[in-house]
Amino acid sequence: MHLLILNGLANGLIVGGIYALVGVSLSLLYGVLRVVNFAHGEFVIGGSFVAYVLFQRFGLPPLAAVPVAAVAFFALGWPAYYLLIPRLARSEDPEAMSFLLMYGVSIALSATLLLLFEADTRSIDYSFTPTSVAIGPVYVSTARLLAFAVAVLVSVALAWFLFRTLHGKALRAAIMNRDAIQILGVDIHRLSALAFALASALAGVTGVLVALVFPAFNAFSGAEYAIIGFVVVVLGGLGNPIGALAAGVLYGLAEQLATVFLPQAMAPIVGFAILVGTIMLRPEGLFGRRAVR
Amino acid sequence: MTGLLETRALVKRFGGITALDGVDVSVRRGEVVGVIGVNGAGKTTLMNCVCGLSRPDGGEIFLDGKRITRSAPHDIAHLGVGRTFQVPRVFRRMSLLDNLLVPVLDAAAPDWELERRAASMLERMQLLELRHNHAEELSGGQQKLLEMARMLMREPKVVLLDEPFAGVHPTLCRFMIEQIEAMAAAGTSVLLISHDLTSIYRLSDRIVALNQGQIIAEGDVEAIRGSPAVIEAYLGT
Repeated sequence: MHLLILNGLANGLIVGGIYALVGVSLSLLYGVLRVVNFAHGEFVIGGSFVAYVLFQRFGLPPLAAVPVAAVAFFALGWPAYYLLIPRLARSEDPEAMSFLLMYGVSIALSATLLLLFEADTRSIDYSFTPTSVAIGPVYVSTARLLAFAVAVLVSVALAWFLFRTLHGKALRAAIMNRDAIQILGVDIHRLSALAFALASALAGVTGVLVALVFPAFNAFSGAEYAIIGFVVVVLGGLGNPIGALAAGVLYGLAEQLATVFLPQAMAPIVGFAILVGTIMLRPEGLFGRRAVR
Repeated sequence: MTGLLETRALVKRFGGITALDGVDVSVRRGEVVGVIGVNGAGKTTLMNCVCGLSRPDGGEIFLDGKRITRSAPHDIAHLGVGRTFQVPRVFRRMSLLDNLLVPVLDAAAPDWELERRAASMLERMQLLELRHNHAEELSGGQQKLLEMARMLMREPKVVLLDEPFAGVHPTLCRFMIEQIEAMAAAGTSVLLISHDLTSIYRLSDRIVALNQGQIIAEGDVEAIRGSPAVIEAYLGT
């Protein structure tokens, strides 16, 4: 039992690192744009398919797909923002309309992935040497460990960007007050496009890590990650990227420890229990950032 | 056209309510124009239209002869309009220094130079010692000073000050008055909203009185003090 709990903790941390990235990118988007990106899961799985194609077609190892996915998704995210989002401001309820719009985008992207890769489940048949590493009494697969290391590196880089660079500070300022930043001469659309591109790049990288950590994915796997992302965002506090990072790890730990004590099929219930419990008991999220606005 | 900032027949409606009904306001270079009126008179709406946060339903706004009626808020800021709010909209969980760096995001200067300018501005507002604190740790009055410092980082030609003295300690009010006088002396035009008539009488070269979205009186302090329309709007007699 003791070993099972340690395994659960190790897996929880690793999976939590992935969930943290899903959450932080969604949170950044919501914070800066006030857009609920229902298609975020498809962006993530798109990254998994990038890793898959690069490996199948060009023999590139999955880790090499990380920078490729980051650059490609950033480059796609920028024009996608201008195509999709500014028009929402003309509606009477941009947040609700964003949900519907991005739900449509989610369906369109799923269908596109289905068209390109069919409904079969895919996996990357790549093994690292050694295949696993002993951390005390716990054996962790090298792929998972590397994925976790990349997730930590990306999180640290993101935190550095948000807290140490002028553009990062502007993004945080926009999360705190969109009106104030505009009257200070900051082009909110340019900043929002940066947020959208950055969140897309993070989603692409996360997708590559998903392909490393989880055994299989298909064109419809995106919805699962979107829902996990929403739970993490609510748990971390709406529009609070750093809260989302911590919440992602907590969620991963809770989910993986649940598989130790509960039947496997009940693990997803833990996520929804956390979501409902947080909304009812602490709607501002665990990291209470009401003051952030 | 004589004013640096001019509004002509400005109209703004919210549903069935006309918040601004043909308002003409002009502010010359280095002039302080006070805007007074009871709650709901349209004072803040006027500022929101000038800085681009609200889009007017009619009329025109000119800055230095250039039409800015439908320009985006960031473009208006680039042209030289700065703004503060009645409830300060500082970036609460950012340091005071970082608050001042946001307006100069696109400045063609190295970071150390921008930080030096920000520190100098904080020193002017007597906030330098608190530069690494989060803005939310400041008192309400200090937040108003921080917002003023942040606005000045772009060296605006015209500043719109919305109730800068509301809820502020008298000592801090006196300091703010000195700062506003210094801005005007340096050639910055000021459009000032305040319910504090003593301060507005002291600072203003000219006063515009609004009531229900219309200008009911305009002139120097003596003209406003003696205006029957202003007395009626304020006292209802």
